[in-house]
Amino acid sequence: MPDWVKRFLPFISLIALCALIPLGEYFFLGQDPKFLTAGNLAAIARQTAVITIMAMGMTMVMVSGGIDLSVGSIVGLAGVVGAMSMTAGLPVLAGILIFIAVGAACGLLNGMAVTALKIPPFIVTLGAMGIYRGLGLYISDGNAVVGLPSGAGYLAEKTVFGLFPLPLFIVIAFALIVHFVLSSTKLGRYCYAMGSNIEAARYAGIRVSTFQIVYYAILGGLSGLAGAIETSRTVTGQPNAGEGYELNVIAAVVIGGGSLSGGQGTVVGTIIGSLIMGVLANGGNLLQISPFIQKIVIGAVIVLAVTFDEFQRRRMETSES
Amino acid sequence: MTERVAALEMRGIDKSFAGNKVLDGVDITAHTGEVLALVGENGAGKSTLMKILSGVHYPDAGEIFIGGEKVRFSNPADALSAGVAMIYQELSLSPHLTVAENIFLGREPVRLSALGVIDDRELNRLAEELLKEYGFNINPRTRLVRLSAADRQLVEITRAIVEARKVIVMDEPTSSLTSGEVEELFRLIRDLKARGLAVIYISHRLEELDEIADRLSILRDGRAVYSGVWGELSTDQMIRHMAGRELKEIFPPRKAVIGEVRLRVDNLSLPPKFEHISFDVRAGEVVGIAGLAGAGRTELVEAIYGAHAAHSGEIQIDNQKVTQSSANQSVRRGVGLLTEDRKRTGLCLNLPMSTNITLANVGALIKGGRLQGKTEIEVTRNYIGKLNIKPPSPHKMVARLSGGNQQKSLLARWLFAGSKIFLLDEPTRGVDVAARSEIYREVNELAETGAAIVMVSSDLPELLGMADRILVMRRGHMVAEFDARKTSQEEILKYAALEEN
Repeated sequence: MPDWVKRFLPFISLIALCALIPLGEYFFLGQDPKFLTAGNLAAIARQTAVITIMAMGMTMVMVSGGIDLSVGSIVGLAGVVGAMSMTAGLPVLAGILIFIAVGAACGLLNGMAVTALKIPPFIVTLGAMGIYRGLGLYISDGNAVVGLPSGAGYLAEKTVFGLFPLPLFIVIAFALIVHFVLSSTKLGRYCYAMGSNIEAARYAGIRVSTFQIVYYAILGGLSGLAGAIETSRTVTGQPNAGEGYELNVIAAVVIGGGSLSGGQGTVVGTIIGSLIMGVLANGGNLLQISPFIQKIVIGAVIVLAVTFDEFQRRRMETSES
Repeated sequence: MTERVAALEMRGIDKSFAGNKVLDGVDITAHTGEVLALVGENGAGKSTLMKILSGVHYPDAGEIFIGGEKVRFSNPADALSAGVAMIYQELSLSPHLTVAENIFLGREPVRLSALGVIDDRELNRLAEELLKEYGFNINPRTRLVRLSAADRQLVEITRAIVEARKVIVMDEPTSSLTSGEVEELFRLIRDLKARGLAVIYISHRLEELDEIADRLSILRDGRAVYSGVWGELSTDQMIRHMAGRELKEIFPPRKAVIGEVRLRVDNLSLPPKFEHISFDVRAGEVVGIAGLAGAGRTELVEAIYGAHAAHSGEIQIDNQKVTQSSANQSVRRGVGLLTEDRKRTGLCLNLPMSTNITLANVGALIKGGRLQGKTEIEVTRNYIGKLNIKPPSPHKMVARLSGGNQQKSLLARWLFAGSKIFLLDEPTRGVDVAARSEIYREVNELAETGAAIVMVSSDLPELLGMADRILVMRRGHMVAEFDARKTSQEEILKYAALEEN
């Protein structure tokens, strides 16, 4: 394979999918392709927005060498608390800030636990996943928070120019911000350095604990925002919202070339990773493929993507000494 | 000379990685009952050649003969079954298994052979016998993690000896051994020779080779440039073969003016690593710290740097008392530490050279809230020119650089951070002769511009050539101080190793 194919493989796969799905619709189902209609594309954007927003934060955390399994639970907890604050009479806009604040607080706690306890983040956040989910269920007594003000649906339902869903703009805005942070700021530079070799980063004078906490807090805040969009979509605060999202979010980062061992990953890659999963699910539905089969396919894609990446990395390493 | 069958012959070995020719028609021969010393600068191809011999890499061209028979190794198991064993430079043991389990890994004695139940008692008995026979005082039931680096190396050696039937390769086997243990190893090697094995011994320590080598092969830039009987070449000639040119001035002269005290260490202690250490370093001065492995030198400089907190004592920088509680503060105060283990605590291996060079001073690249990529590349090119870093490509991943160029990149990091006090811990470990001399030149230049330099080194000629004063540490204590012009290797060693003799 030529080098550019390897480099852009995720992107090429995405384009190939977008071409194959309508062809499948036409030849197998004998109907006019719906995939490329504006309505369907908007639906994909809406469906993948929540995962993509969280995946922006996860990219930072994973590039820095960490991981956070509790993000799905944060969506639920932030959703419940935010929804409650709205039913208690807080205006919608202030409510949205509550969602974000709850998420950021959870992320901050994760970061502090990871740095203070010196336990692998996988374990810390595995525990946090249970704690936040349990907390959300406990304060809502396991019931959906209902009776939100009518404006609560704004975040998810609002469209710009009558076509583009607002969440799409939120995704684009945060993608630009996180991309800038990762490529052009100290915060981002240290992210790669810590993920590549955290001891070397510490010896170079970087306050690694502080930065780690910041990355987790940002991810938490973005998960809180995702919780706001979820709540807005259903106009209820579901304590079970976001269940299993952590795996989709991590998968998006990994398919996009992020490494579980840190030091690698880009915003563009993650967005493509997230879109590949979204397009697979959407295309699967259009082609009337069983959702059970879809799960198998997505699982296989994750393994293939990582295998390919790992294979590349090993080739580079053996070509050293 | 009568024609006899060599234990090992490698003929015309070629190997390229990604278009880079690493080995080019290399021939080496090792005879039964002899030690072949394999020397060369880092990057000359020794490790690759040995990886081909042990089946890790497959050669692009060339032939290997063991006892006159042509062999093809496509994996390490093939090499082992042909009787070729290897002691790796990086330890390749399983830390959570016991000594005995490691020695017999893959060849455990079994009871009820159909079921493959490991006979633990037999395993431990065999291991105990072996260790006793070799004179290593190690309990076979201990888990590897609980052993010192030196003991682990002895276990690695034991395992390789058990596996070896024809050829044994030792890649820098003494790097973490004390002088007593080195003697023990040499006794073993003589034993192996007597048993008819061919030993290939890779080392940078020429004096060590002098004691055991029978033959010598020198590699340079992937070619075998010399093969002959040990002793035919003088040390100077050997270095010339390795470097490919005359190196009259490995240690360039320095015209530094010794000024005010910049760093003062007063009664610093971190028991049991080091205790009651006091010394000072002046502007323009290079102070060497000698001592054996485990004497506490690395711990001392790391405590001065603030990577670990000292237990008690005081540090002054430019007559100001400081509490170096973190690397972050040290860097701000102009202290830079070139760490002993650059892969573990120095480099971000999978990041570009430029990122590694600017890492301790990223703030200087930020203008208008944005990290200036162009400036970063200019800065990097500047240091590439100044330190002669090769290849001169700022975007090159540092993992792909040779040891010497990696070390230069780290030195550049502290230059860019504007350090005034340099703590250099084994600055030329694993660095080839040419790069060494360039690092020395830079150190001299730093001293001439008023920097204060502490140089920890196990390479005594280096300390004698570079330092103004040499401090000697033994078991965590400062036991002697010498004027570098008025002392000798023997004198320093006497103090460094007193208790062991």
